[in-house]
Amino acid sequence: MSRQIWDIPGGIHPAQNKIQSLQTEITRADIPAELVIPTQQHIGAPAKPCVEVGDKVLKGQVIAEGNGFVSLPVHAPTSGEVIAIESRPIQHPSQIDGVCIVLKPDSNDTWGARHPIDNYQSLERNDVIDAIRNAGIAGMGGAGFPSAIKLGIKPGTKIEQLILNSVECEPYITADDKLIQERADEIIAGLEIMQWLVNPQETLIGIEDNKPDAIAAFKKATANNNIEVVVVPTKYPSGGEKQLIYMLTGKEVSSGGLPSDVGVICQNTGTAYAINRAIHHGEPLVSRITTVTGDAVKHKGNYEVLLGTPVDALLAQAGADMSAASRLIMGGPMMGFSIHDASVPVVKVTNCLLAPTTEEIPVPAQEQACIRCGSCAQVCPAGLLPQQLYWFSKSNELEKAEHFNLADCIECGACSFVCPSNIPLVQYFRFGKGQIRKHKSETIKADHARERFEFRQARLEKEEREKEQKRKARAEAAAKKQAAKKAAALANPPSDASGSPTTPGTDDVADTASNATKLKSAWASATKRWKDAEKALTIAEKNGSDQLEAFQKKVDQLKAKAEKTKALYEDAKTSAASTSPSSPSASPSPAVAPVSNDPMVQLKQASADNFKAWKDAQKKTQEAEANSADNLEALREEEATLKAKSDASKAAMKEARAKEKEAMQAKKATEDPTKQLKLDAAIARTKAKKALKALNSLDDDHASHAALKAAYEKALATADNADAALKAAEEA
Amino acid sequence: MSVLHVTSPHVRKPMTTNAVMRHVIYGTIPGLAVLTLLFGWGTLINVVFGSLVAVAAEALVLRLRNRPILFSIKDGSAILTAVLLALAIPPTSPWWITVVGILFAIVIAKQLYGGLGSNPFNPAMIGYVLLLISFPLEMTTWIPANLTEGVAASPSFSQSLALIFGSVDRTVIDGITMATPLDTFKTYAGNDLDMLRSASVLQGSIAGVGWEWVNIAFLVGGLYLVARKIITWHIPVAMVTSLFLLAGLFYIIDPDSYADPIFHVLGGGTMLGAFFIATDPVTAATSNKGKLIYGALIGLLIYVIRAWGGYPDAVAFAVLLLNLCAPTIEYYTQPRAYGHKKANSGIAKS
Amino acid sequence: MSTVESTATDNPELDLPSTPKKTSSVDTKKIVSDGLWNNNAVLVQVLGLCPLLAVSGSIVNSLALGLATMFVITTSNIAVSMIRNYTTDTVRLPVFVMIIASFTTCIEFLMNAFTYELYLVLGIFIPLIVTNCAVLGRADAFASKNGVFASALDGLMTGLGFTLVIVALGTIREVLGQATLFDNMHLLFGDIAQNWTIHIVDDYKGFLFAILPPGAFVIMGFLLALKNIVDKKLKERATALADKPVSGSRRVRTTGNIS
Repeated sequence: MSRQIWDIPGGIHPAQNKIQSLQTEITRADIPAELVIPTQQHIGAPAKPCVEVGDKVLKGQVIAEGNGFVSLPVHAPTSGEVIAIESRPIQHPSQIDGVCIVLKPDSNDTWGARHPIDNYQSLERNDVIDAIRNAGIAGMGGAGFPSAIKLGIKPGTKIEQLILNSVECEPYITADDKLIQERADEIIAGLEIMQWLVNPQETLIGIEDNKPDAIAAFKKATANNNIEVVVVPTKYPSGGEKQLIYMLTGKEVSSGGLPSDVGVICQNTGTAYAINRAIHHGEPLVSRITTVTGDAVKHKGNYEVLLGTPVDALLAQAGADMSAASRLIMGGPMMGFSIHDASVPVVKVTNCLLAPTTEEIPVPAQEQACIRCGSCAQVCPAGLLPQQLYWFSKSNELEKAEHFNLADCIECGACSFVCPSNIPLVQYFRFGKGQIRKHKSETIKADHARERFEFRQARLEKEEREKEQKRKARAEAAAKKQAAKKAAALANPPSDASGSPTTPGTDDVADTASNATKLKSAWASATKRWKDAEKALTIAEKNGSDQLEAFQKKVDQLKAKAEKTKALYEDAKTSAASTSPSSPSASPSPAVAPVSNDPMVQLKQASADNFKAWKDAQKKTQEAEANSADNLEALREEEATLKAKSDASKAAMKEARAKEKEAMQAKKATEDPTKQLKLDAAIARTKAKKALKALNSLDDDHASHAALKAAYEKALATADNADAALKAAEEA
Repeated sequence: MSVLHVTSPHVRKPMTTNAVMRHVIYGTIPGLAVLTLLFGWGTLINVVFGSLVAVAAEALVLRLRNRPILFSIKDGSAILTAVLLALAIPPTSPWWITVVGILFAIVIAKQLYGGLGSNPFNPAMIGYVLLLISFPLEMTTWIPANLTEGVAASPSFSQSLALIFGSVDRTVIDGITMATPLDTFKTYAGNDLDMLRSASVLQGSIAGVGWEWVNIAFLVGGLYLVARKIITWHIPVAMVTSLFLLAGLFYIIDPDSYADPIFHVLGGGTMLGAFFIATDPVTAATSNKGKLIYGALIGLLIYVIRAWGGYPDAVAFAVLLLNLCAPTIEYYTQPRAYGHKKANSGIAKS
Repeated sequence: MSTVESTATDNPELDLPSTPKKTSSVDTKKIVSDGLWNNNAVLVQVLGLCPLLAVSGSIVNSLALGLATMFVITTSNIAVSMIRNYTTDTVRLPVFVMIIASFTTCIEFLMNAFTYELYLVLGIFIPLIVTNCAVLGRADAFASKNGVFASALDGLMTGLGFTLVIVALGTIREVLGQATLFDNMHLLFGDIAQNWTIHIVDDYKGFLFAILPPGAFVIMGFLLALKNIVDKKLKERATALADKPVSGSRRVRTTGNIS
């Protein structure tokens, strides 16, 4: 053979242990009592079940359809009845369950309709690829990538080499070896289909030199075509896709890239066989060759197993004594998973079941300290420094681990194999990779969130600007209105406190808050005023005041008003019941103005209500914003309106207050000056006391201290003034 | 079914760390035998005695550190340290030399840094350098090999015992000790050629009387390690080659002042250092390229210190200085990983 | 200087009395415990290592340098404290250094006059007190913010803490290195100390490593470790005491585990 073989770096030579399972021909496994067919036996999205419980199905019938581009259909491995579609334990590194279709075979094994393609060359390439996809063929070496996707190369891609991976470098496994020995012609037929599909410059078969019979069979089968059998030296892990490509072509698939990037397509032996069955016989992938071996197994050998056969059924047929087994491994001893539940089914990628005894594969020894011997670096086929990666993974220094190309680790296990300190390096690397993946997805999420946040900020700013403009416009309008009202109010000023009920801002007030609430508070305040007045009257009576008449009159007046308000409130309550609470601005309150006899209280109340309404609206808007409701705009507008109203009513209140003062002064003139002055003096004193108290309570804070002191002094001065005035008045 | 969750790979090579240490100790046997033949029983006594002290010291510190004692002692690393140190010190060193050296090596240089696998410096060489700078007299009194002209026989077993543990008047030994060949060369080369030519330790030999045999024995042991794949060839070859080339260069320039390359390569502790000291995996570089640089720089430093430094032999200093550089070498000599156009180097920016 | 500041912020024990208005109520107990133990210039702040490691070969050298440093710290602290209200931030460091240098020169002249041999032995390390971070550190971190009395006490205690550690180091190194105690004490105390030397082991070979700076480093490491162990034990004891249920009228928790 003149072909150059490139040697991969590193690699190990574990004990082969292949001879045990090569002693017998491929045996057809029995149809078990129950088949458990997972809907996900490949990389990609799980298939969607398309049968119901109770359906009778025939062998080869589609029972679950591919769900998307990277997905494959699942077929009934034999004829029978669907008895359940449920979650069952499946072979998975994390021991999770998966959706499975449970089939009760009818033991007839009746094929459904098969559509062999006799002359595939006459078809379109895409049709053949579709046929491969519809047959549910996934890479049968271990990963289970849908083969149709690999073969469906992009137009314009030049494939230089098509490689059939028959290396089978893992110890113990002989599934491909035996398949080649017995059915080399069929494999080559499948390979020829792929050859036609991708049209490579050359087609190579990579096979390790420890399989002389298989090599001979291949040589015989390829005698009359342009397929070349390349024998590579036995070394683990030369069966890795990237490793084999390098060995046969000297090309390296760049990190993170695909073989087709360098013009290579690599397919597994079992896949080629399955493609042949699918195209030439119309049989979808319903069974595979699985090696059952290990010293705990009596009849070691290769079995043609229906997919979905529970592992324990297969082991029972092979005469395995599971009490003697140290563990049960699905796959080879280097990369297989140990399974804990023997009821998991055989799937498309199950190339081996290994039940070794404790003598054969002992329990791992205790982990010792890494002595940096570098054996791992010597055997790493990817040219990594596992001892450094171990250190970084262990200490969670993910960036350094990435810098040392953790992502290029193929988890072949060569480093763990040679480690003298029994460090489970691969486990550390899986953990490290998982952490990096997690970290990356979190970063992506965080980026998304940041983008969203920034967008929202920008939007809010824009809205705020718009709102501000609206508010300004409104405020101007309100100010104009105010000015007009003021002019009107000045035209006929109120004669006393219980004078003209026409108050500025009433219109606004009426608009804002719920009518009933308003009236209720109006009524409450009116009642209170009346009661107060009554009290004052009794006091006055006791003191023998000379103004009893006036008091009495006022009390009567107030009482009448309170009663009136109450009546109005009762009315309003009934009408308010029918008013929608979500549109407070819509409910008018025409009754307020005539009811209240005290403009101050009225205004205060109105202002408070307005403020509350605005706040409520604001809250609602905020909530809506948080929930991103679609009536946001409306709510916002409402909020703005309410705010404007609240502002307006506040302004009105201020004005009313000023007016009231005037009125008070006017009133003062008519009343006993001493009493008023006494009252003033008392108020001033209380204020001064309060100020003093506040002053004493906080002495640390300088700023407020000074302010309070000033207030206190002012209050004191006022009190003094009031006193002086009182004296003067008394003297007078 | 076992409850223990075992992940792939399920099979392992039978080589263990304990076996690695054991094999390295086996590798020292030829050298130990030759030293014993030429210099009497002293070295062997030191090896045994030192191992006991080392195990005791290791156990003590492990106890203080609340670590499993037996598990760590069984790995044999403490014994290996003791063996290497005992091979490096003079066969007649008094017992306390061994004790001080071992204690310092095990307690401070190894366990205080975190035990096996965490020490930045080779513990045996730290112990050796401590002894060398603290007790220069004891550490440079070598009795001459019994092949030397005028030397009758090496001390018997009881004599060696008495020299090591007894309170023998040291002046008795002082009478029979001589400077080592490297020391002699350093003293006379370039200024007193007559003395150099007449020095008995250099007569009729290529690298000092007896020392070529010692080095050849260590070379044999080292080749055993390479054959057993305990060590790779990179460090010893790079180190010896660089030493040889440098020595050759200066020998060509001035043969009177500089010793010939064979003298350097087969003299002193060169082979012990090349195969047993510099290759200590914990403190050396691990990538193949890194190992070559590491070894070559050790060779360079050995020559520089031997030729122009203050000490006649320099293996320990050179190895320790390069231990210091090993992480840096490591960062800049990462191999090119599969699928990458060029190798990464330096530290990841964080 | 950055060392001082970073230690000051990193170490929670470094809380300096930071109420500048009332100098009279300085917590003298805290100053003493900080200077001697909790915030020891050597064991906690790890300052002034250069003279510490270079000179601590014997007790007499250690003591002499320790006392000289103590003198400089105390006097410079007093001086800095006195002028603390008259120096602006921008010029404070040069001013402090000038003050420290002046006192260092004083002590240098004093040693030159009274302990000439010691002056020769200590050599460059006497003038180098100027660069001792502990001195400038105290001046800047404490004396420039506190009153004269507090600063003097702080200087004294920091200096004493430094002296104690350097003498401890010197003692260990002297014993390990040459198996003597109080050797050459007459250099410091005059003829009266001629016979103070104690030989622990006769016919000692001498352990050069302990005398050389690397030995000082290793012993220093052990001292630091020792301090940490003691602190840990003290803390454990304190928490144990605090956890003890108080008998009497206080309610005692009766649910859960009580050990």
